[in-house]
Amino acid sequence: MSVSCVRPPIGTSTPGKHLRRIENQVAESFQLPSTPLQQFTLANGLRVILNRDQSVPVVSVAVYYDVGSRNEKEGRTGFAHLFEHMMFQGSENVPKAAHFQYIFNAGGTMNGTTSTERTNYFETLPANQLPLALWLESDRMCSLKVTQENLDNQRNAVQEEKRLRYDNQPYVNAFLRINELIFKNPANAHSTIGSMEDLDAATIDDIREFFRIYYAPNNAVLTISGDFEEQETRALVEKYFAEIPSQPRPPAVDVSEPEEVAATEESFPDQLAPAPAFVLGWKIPARRTQEFYALSLASDLLFEGDSSRLYQKLVKGDESVVSIQGGVDERRGPSALYIFALPKPGFEPQAIRQQIFDEIKRLATSGPSEGEMEKLRNSLCNDSVRGRQSTMYRAQRIAEYALYDDDPKLFDSELDNYLSVTAQEITNAVARFLDVDNRVVLDIVPDAERALESAQASAQPPGERRQPAAPAPQIPSPESEQQISPSNSEVVVASSAHPERPEQPADPPKQTEPGSGPLHP
Amino acid sequence: MSTQQDFRQQPPPPLPARHLQLPSATEARLSNGLAVVIVEDRRLPLVSYRLSFRTGDAHDPPELPGLTEMLTGLLTEGTESLSSREIADEIARMGATLSAGANSDYSTVAASSLSRFGDQVLELLADVTLRPSFPENEVALARQNTKESLRQQRAQPSFLATEMVSRCMFGQHPYSVIAPTPESLDATSRDRLIEFHRSQFVPNNAVFIIVGDVHAESVLKRIERLFGQWEPAGTVADDFPAPPAHTSRSARIVDRPGSAQSNIVIANLGITRMNPDYFPMLLMHTVLGANASSRLFMNLREDKGYTYGAYSNLDARRSAGTFRASAEVRTPVTGDSLKEFFYELERIRSQPVSQKEITDAKAFLTGVFPIRLETQEGLIDQLVQIRMFGLPENYLDTYRDKVQAVTVEQIREVAERYVKPDQATIVIVGDGIQIEEQIAPYTDDVTFFNTAGKPKSRPSLTPKNVVRAPQNIVGNWQLEIQTPLGQTIPATLILEEAETGLTGRVESEMGDADLLTVNLDGQSLAATLAFDMGAGETVEAQISGELSGEQIQGSIILQNSPPLTFTGSKQ
Repeated sequence: MSVSCVRPPIGTSTPGKHLRRIENQVAESFQLPSTPLQQFTLANGLRVILNRDQSVPVVSVAVYYDVGSRNEKEGRTGFAHLFEHMMFQGSENVPKAAHFQYIFNAGGTMNGTTSTERTNYFETLPANQLPLALWLESDRMCSLKVTQENLDNQRNAVQEEKRLRYDNQPYVNAFLRINELIFKNPANAHSTIGSMEDLDAATIDDIREFFRIYYAPNNAVLTISGDFEEQETRALVEKYFAEIPSQPRPPAVDVSEPEEVAATEESFPDQLAPAPAFVLGWKIPARRTQEFYALSLASDLLFEGDSSRLYQKLVKGDESVVSIQGGVDERRGPSALYIFALPKPGFEPQAIRQQIFDEIKRLATSGPSEGEMEKLRNSLCNDSVRGRQSTMYRAQRIAEYALYDDDPKLFDSELDNYLSVTAQEITNAVARFLDVDNRVVLDIVPDAERALESAQASAQPPGERRQPAAPAPQIPSPESEQQISPSNSEVVVASSAHPERPEQPADPPKQTEPGSGPLHP
Repeated sequence: MSTQQDFRQQPPPPLPARHLQLPSATEARLSNGLAVVIVEDRRLPLVSYRLSFRTGDAHDPPELPGLTEMLTGLLTEGTESLSSREIADEIARMGATLSAGANSDYSTVAASSLSRFGDQVLELLADVTLRPSFPENEVALARQNTKESLRQQRAQPSFLATEMVSRCMFGQHPYSVIAPTPESLDATSRDRLIEFHRSQFVPNNAVFIIVGDVHAESVLKRIERLFGQWEPAGTVADDFPAPPAHTSRSARIVDRPGSAQSNIVIANLGITRMNPDYFPMLLMHTVLGANASSRLFMNLREDKGYTYGAYSNLDARRSAGTFRASAEVRTPVTGDSLKEFFYELERIRSQPVSQKEITDAKAFLTGVFPIRLETQEGLIDQLVQIRMFGLPENYLDTYRDKVQAVTVEQIREVAERYVKPDQATIVIVGDGIQIEEQIAPYTDDVTFFNTAGKPKSRPSLTPKNVVRAPQNIVGNWQLEIQTPLGQTIPATLILEEAETGLTGRVESEMGDADLLTVNLDGQSLAATLAFDMGAGETVEAQISGELSGEQIQGSIILQNSPPLTFTGSKQ
């Protein structure tokens, strides 16, 4: 699943009362700097958006394919993510695993992610290396080497990744389970990493067919953001992509859900969990609906940052939790909202849960305060403007709006939709969708007995030790541990771990190893 | 299609290089010694602030590790006029951020906002820096939360590896300590925090950097107003003991029974950040192990398949540094991995790197340079480092030239000087019993530690070293095993004497297991349990216990699980 808390920028900020009574300039409206866009579509259906900005001589290229776990049929789960791996295994003119070498040796960075909605590939390079990126992306779009050997290798790699990122981590698999309970439609309920059985059963023909259907120019968007010449770039795009043949439209996907998710409470044994925890989950309306905007803002009020209601109540007030987090899974179909809590030793999960429900009820009845509305608006503004600094952020967001909505200009205008949300709308949305019994409670229970059983299940026959096959490479950052975070790590399933906050650009400059900052790889 | 094929066969050449306009800064110094650096950047209506102090974890009083860390965390938890909540609400109301943190060498108070809130955020930044109140309840909460995270950290192999490497490499130098202890936390009183803040967080020890949509003159005036009354104080120059020299190779193993991976770090003493060898070292590091086209990665991962990723680390700090090679490898290939590591470390010091390698490394470093300066955050962090390490002010302007100027011979020289496989310290966090023999060919000087960092005996003993077991040990022990959920599982531990030493079984509802490689050290018992799953399959666990007369207590660790504690008595 892709857990994204991205909110478009805000426009107006109204002054609230200041503790210091400092006179503040009251601006009636917030003008977001306008993003220049040039759009065109090739004859083969590839949608292309160019965003020129000469601030820094870098360029980011993003290719978004309209295929995610939502497109996977039963018995065929995990294909979209497996494919993401395969895309780095070489194409007609690019040797196996050379993709990342080309990028590094040109002085760039790269990544790729898979979610329920889409698979994306992106790189940032010095501006004069734009042709290299287009060559790499076009070569694999048209001539990916789908061989039995690559398939077998990457199946192994996915197994290793599943072990490393999911099965070897406490709490992570609970998030996969909760989706199975929130969503009734298998297309929505299953995880992006998929099942090993389905992947083991995949034949080379299955994979070739998958590639043919989904990895087609008419099923993709290409965005380029940064310092380039428009005419020259347009010509390069034509040169590298125009000849790639289009394919028939992929089959439509049904992501409809019954409206209610019945109240479900389940116990989830976790052999790695050192302490009990729980996840709460709600089904919420699709992205870009008025209710979704309202619930997204409600989620900020509830658990985003130190001034959020649940942080103040549980971390600072009762001091009863080690952590309280939440997130919104934004999808084109029915979406989801989660809250995760890790109680401190000696505090009852049940009691903490009740407090969370009480706070939701409070929001559902009295609604947000004026101060909270101001906070929301200013945060949206701030996040939006701050994100815009990065060519990669722009390339990705523009590609999303092009892919999902066929309207890249939403990059600038979506802000107004969020800004238009009223306190009453937030109150109503919380009342209708969160302050209800229709929710999932997943109790994560440490279970060492099961540890023995599953150790048995994963024990390998003696003598047959498989090498960890090549998962995609990782850009090392000495100070950070491997995290499931699209911004830090390499080719990963987008955020199946804890619901994520949007990246905070101005986080404290904590570096465990000074001298290993960005200029010191 | 054939013309299309032709041009696709090769990667395209780059377009003409585009110019990078580096920002210019306005510099000033207040009369109290506060240095101010202002970079105007009006691309977007944003502003970023960093107020950095040349006081970091290394300056903690020796008996109070973690003091600086706790102090910086508490700055935003209350000032003379604002509570923690009020600060949080005020910042959030503006959609801004305000936080503080520390590393080994320096601390930073950081803030950012839309430029329209720039002044207010600056006032708040001044308030938390100059007038923190360290409320007693917040201090208590910080202590408690840090204790919680210490507990979590001890379950993480990477933390254990860093802890051991730091201890071994830095010795008496304060970089050797990377975390507080519960005891030191209890001793970190409000008074000590206040005193440390008063003496260290002073203007002549600080640099204030502002990047963003500001006018240099007016922001400087505001800074003068807010920080002008700040009193300087005498600072003492750093005088840390030198890290120890190592004259031979050694291995320090943190035993994590049942670990499926070995977390390997091989380290030598390196350079400080300001050492003139820095750029040759940077190139050497890039060729050896900076990214996925480097030698360590290509060898240990791409070629051998031992690991998810193998890298080197140029750890160059203000007063000392190390150079490390590391990877997390599957337990059974620990020895093989060491072989490849040493092969690569020997190779880089004895043979010149190839022309392609140095060219690629330069392309990487110069290429990512502008990418890291795309954002205000990226730029301001570089400026902080330049000031805190005393690097030349034109560092950014000359960086790429300095990279380009490094020669193959210079790389070999620094590799020879600093990469010393024969004097390296090997730190491995892994399953001691599985790796003990694998390490043996690489060094005789091997010490084992438990995950609490205390020395322990070797995981296994050869038969001739077995001491005859005291009679009070042999026999049947009735155990009660506690699961984290609070269940109790009864079990019987049967210990018997055999020619080769102690042997025995565990019988329980969980299954029956033979005891393998029983190690008895005084009254401390340790053994591997092998549970028979049928069809020739076994699952292993580790059991350890302390005997005291007729009582025993200890724990059983299944692979990748929290320990199950038990108590018991002799039947």
